[in-house]
Amino acid sequence: MRRIRADLHIHSVLSPCTDLGMSPEKIVAGARARGLDLIAVADHNAGWNGPYVRRAARGRPVVICAMEIQSEEEVEVLALFPDERTCQTLSEQIERVLPDIFCDPETFGDQLVVDDSGEIVRRVDRLLLSPVPWPLGEVVRRVRDLGGLAIPAHVDRVPGGLLGVLGLLPEGDWPALELAPWTSVEEACARWPELRGRALLRSSDAHSPGQIGRAWTELAVKTLDVEGLGEALTDPGRVRPSPPFKETPW
Amino acid sequence: MTVGELVRELGLEVLVAGDLEADVHGGYCADLLSEVLAHAAKGDIWITHQKHLNVVAVAKLKEIGAVVLVRGLRPPQEVTDRARAEGVTILVSPTSAFETAGRIHRALFP
Repeated sequence: MRRIRADLHIHSVLSPCTDLGMSPEKIVAGARARGLDLIAVADHNAGWNGPYVRRAARGRPVVICAMEIQSEEEVEVLALFPDERTCQTLSEQIERVLPDIFCDPETFGDQLVVDDSGEIVRRVDRLLLSPVPWPLGEVVRRVRDLGGLAIPAHVDRVPGGLLGVLGLLPEGDWPALELAPWTSVEEACARWPELRGRALLRSSDAHSPGQIGRAWTELAVKTLDVEGLGEALTDPGRVRPSPPFKETPW
Repeated sequence: MTVGELVRELGLEVLVAGDLEADVHGGYCADLLSEVLAHAAKGDIWITHQKHLNVVAVAKLKEIGAVVLVRGLRPPQEVTDRARAEGVTILVSPTSAFETAGRIHRALFP
């Protein structure tokens, strides 16, 4: 068993709300500087940059291809995929069903696919900040069917957090729940007692290089991949979220 | 005014009938269920776009008089099944949340 430090929620330049410095190279440099062993690149409703970050990292850190999917109810879910292919499969499915709203860079920011050497591969024109037309249960089912982990993101945050939006933890087999970077475990469990005894993650939700690794989770894993992560999450005793990162919530 | 009287006056569709004799004194508009948990009052008419199963749980917990889905939105069957089992009234209004709230307010406070 190996004790590792993971930041499983990092945005790249594919997210329009992200600093243009979040290229694959910069994400890798930031993760290394923070001593992260495992990261997940999770852009809004698309996972096109994960493979390039993985190439830039060459295993240091290990990179999970992921995305942050916004359900019909406007609940955000971290979807962590076992490989590039499955992440791409869901990205393509989502691309077909997202509302056809043009992402005006002046208004929303750029949505860029950037390769491991920093070159722009393409620009995604359709706005990725809209909810997909699938209810939460369907989002979870689609991620699971591809062998992925569906983990509600920053559950205590409004907007976008499962508990903020839906008030109570819905029935379901949740592998883990991610807390907002700024909430302590005690605060969250006091407000939502259903969080007690569950595997709780904390991640940076970084939108700029300086935010990478500002919050993290320590895990005891057998293997450093999504399967190993899923196995570790079955035992909340092997999951330790970092102290909260205090800042004004956005 | 009772839920049933409101239904007749506004011509709302009754998707699931709980207690239509319940008295209504006010309402609450929100799609964030955490807001409803924190601020809605017992007996309120709850006007929303949200049709997740948790709507039933929150309505039951807060003793909501009736849930009104706006813009003709229809919840999945698991929601109506659960509402029936829990005795939670679910109504559907064809108009927008703004229009629906305005009409309900006018009916309650003429």
